[in-house]
Amino acid sequence: MTDTPTPLRDPAFMQAFLDLVIPPSDDGKLPGAGSLDLAFDMAGRVDADPMLGPFVQAGLQAVRDAALARDPSGLAALPPPAGVEVIESQLAAHPMLMIGVALHLYPAYYQHPRVLAGLGEPPRAPFPEGYALEPTDPQLLQKLLDRRRK
Amino acid sequence: MWRGVAEGRGEARANSAAQIVSARNFQLLYDPPMPNEPVGVLIIGAGASGAAFAWRIADAGMSVLCLEQGPWVKQGDYPTNFLDWESRSMGPFATSPNIRKLPADYPVNEQDSSITPLMYNAVGGSTILWAGHFPRFTPRDFRVKSDDGVADDWPIDYETLEPFFAINDRMMGVSGLAGDPAYPYHEPTMPPLPLGKSGNTVAAGFEKLGWHWWPSDSAVTSQEYEGRAPCINLGACINGCAQGAKASTDITYWPAAQRKGVQIRTGCRVKEITVRPDGMADGVLYYDEGGTLQEQKAEIVVLAANGIGTPRLLLNSKSAQHPDGLANSSGMVGKNLMFHPYAAILGVFDEDLGGRRGPTGCSLWSHEFYKTDLSRGFVRGYSFEAVRGFAPAQTALWGMSRGMVPWGPDHHKSYARVYNRTTGLLAITEDLPEETNTVTLDPELTDSNGIPAPKINYKLSDNSQKMLAHAVERAKEALTAAGATEVFSEPLMSNAGWHLMGTARMGADPKTSVVNEWGRAHDVKNLFIIDGSIFVTAGGVNPTSTIQALALYVADSIKKNIETLFD
Repeated sequence: MTDTPTPLRDPAFMQAFLDLVIPPSDDGKLPGAGSLDLAFDMAGRVDADPMLGPFVQAGLQAVRDAALARDPSGLAALPPPAGVEVIESQLAAHPMLMIGVALHLYPAYYQHPRVLAGLGEPPRAPFPEGYALEPTDPQLLQKLLDRRRK
Repeated sequence: MWRGVAEGRGEARANSAAQIVSARNFQLLYDPPMPNEPVGVLIIGAGASGAAFAWRIADAGMSVLCLEQGPWVKQGDYPTNFLDWESRSMGPFATSPNIRKLPADYPVNEQDSSITPLMYNAVGGSTILWAGHFPRFTPRDFRVKSDDGVADDWPIDYETLEPFFAINDRMMGVSGLAGDPAYPYHEPTMPPLPLGKSGNTVAAGFEKLGWHWWPSDSAVTSQEYEGRAPCINLGACINGCAQGAKASTDITYWPAAQRKGVQIRTGCRVKEITVRPDGMADGVLYYDEGGTLQEQKAEIVVLAANGIGTPRLLLNSKSAQHPDGLANSSGMVGKNLMFHPYAAILGVFDEDLGGRRGPTGCSLWSHEFYKTDLSRGFVRGYSFEAVRGFAPAQTALWGMSRGMVPWGPDHHKSYARVYNRTTGLLAITEDLPEETNTVTLDPELTDSNGIPAPKINYKLSDNSQKMLAHAVERAKEALTAAGATEVFSEPLMSNAGWHLMGTARMGADPKTSVVNEWGRAHDVKNLFIIDGSIFVTAGGVNPTSTIQALALYVADSIKKNIETLFD
């Protein structure tokens, strides 16, 4: 007999779930969150969050159960609109679920090199290359020079 | 361990002065501190003021030692060295000690405060995690009572500090444009930083309205300056500058002070300032990095531990001679706590403004609403500071908190609407001193050495609330004039208690103030205070430039009065 993993450590469920939270962009530049192997990182963050972590765990459990009730193969087998519907059906009973998920998922997603590249950002740490900055508008500068105290 | 019981981690804490003295003597008898070689000048705290003071006092012919509870921070550890810099900025480099919880931090009970106090404990202090926005106080900020009939005048004026502002600008390295009509003429040490797309956009809005604006004086290098490389627009100034372009005193004053022979000892948390039988300061007891209690004697003790750390230490230094805390015969230690209540106003634009790229808080300022105009419904005023947009993850989190970036099928479309398209203004309002806003000792909470932690009681005044409301409306006008299609506001930023002032105020009268006009404690003539605690009023601008000018001025006053220092 094998133990059923918690939803956070259920790879098929988490991949499907995260792809519903942040799906791939229509133009294909930005990947779905489920395809980025963020589930492990996310599980660590949720485990370490004493405030929202328990709400997220409970909410994910409810979503997985509801998905299984609709299709024995679970959330991954549902088409995206149906998957979204399943999640939404649980939010009244688990109002903190998506706040907790977003709080832990968004930072992980938006610091991923593939996402940065998709946004048009260089997929690197800011230092040491840094970034260029537009110079001060010379017309604005001239106005200041005209009114400066001598 | 015996020491923990004697110091009272809650249940056994002594309350009366006699009990405290007795407990300390008992401790010293059975667990004596390690003695160190006495020094001439002992500085507590290596941040903005401690560093400036150390450098300036170093040539006075006295040995100088600084005790700092934090470590030296390596630039290679700053978040922007890493791809996940945004997460690191919210964790080990967060601005609140209650979030960071690093070994160098002490907890602050902020439950009864409408503003969260922020600070950083390391060599460099809070200059490690600041924006480098570097306005001076204006001349009017030193005469609030005379001009507006509220609070008090300072016992010194702008002209007294002017030479020290100039020295400090040179030591910190300040970029800016000379000639701002809001200030007496002064010349920053470097040309101004570029405004960038967001700064140009906001400036155009102010121009349209005919409102004052000027590129901010910025403690950030716009060019190579004394071994520091120019700013490369990392956009994360308040989480530590990996480039070293932003001035923090670990890379400005401290190397120069050390070259002059100043010693600095890190990982040392001061427990109390000790006194001689005549009530003069004798030195300190402190815990070293290993938790061993040490004793350090000194001829002069200088407190530079910020507007919360300083009153905390004074209140923790009760003795038979000073039963209400050291230098507290006036009862003013810990009272009149001032923050600068901040409002944040953010505009969403149709064009890409460059996001967070550029020095975070160093673009432009406005003093359009700085002076009192009673028709606005409040006394005194505020300044605006333009800030830049959000980084990728911050954008998502901010959008989520506003309900603008939902999860699900519309996520990317909503995100694209705001990413790199926001910029904003901060309103920095002048907080007036009130005795009911306090730093006291928490009856239960202690730091990792068992030293009682500070408790903050702070309520936003009616005057400040009116000022914030006014500022929000004016900022909306400015951003709309600049082209914003939507404007969002946070009328009180609760997590913005950067500026800690007023809790050991300066004044001529020992009955109503803690230190005299050059920082010497009225009650203890070899004890000096040089941080924001000694501010009489708060101004409506960031205080660091003025704190450092004051520290330099106090150092010079000590040197000037050395023959009669203790008279």
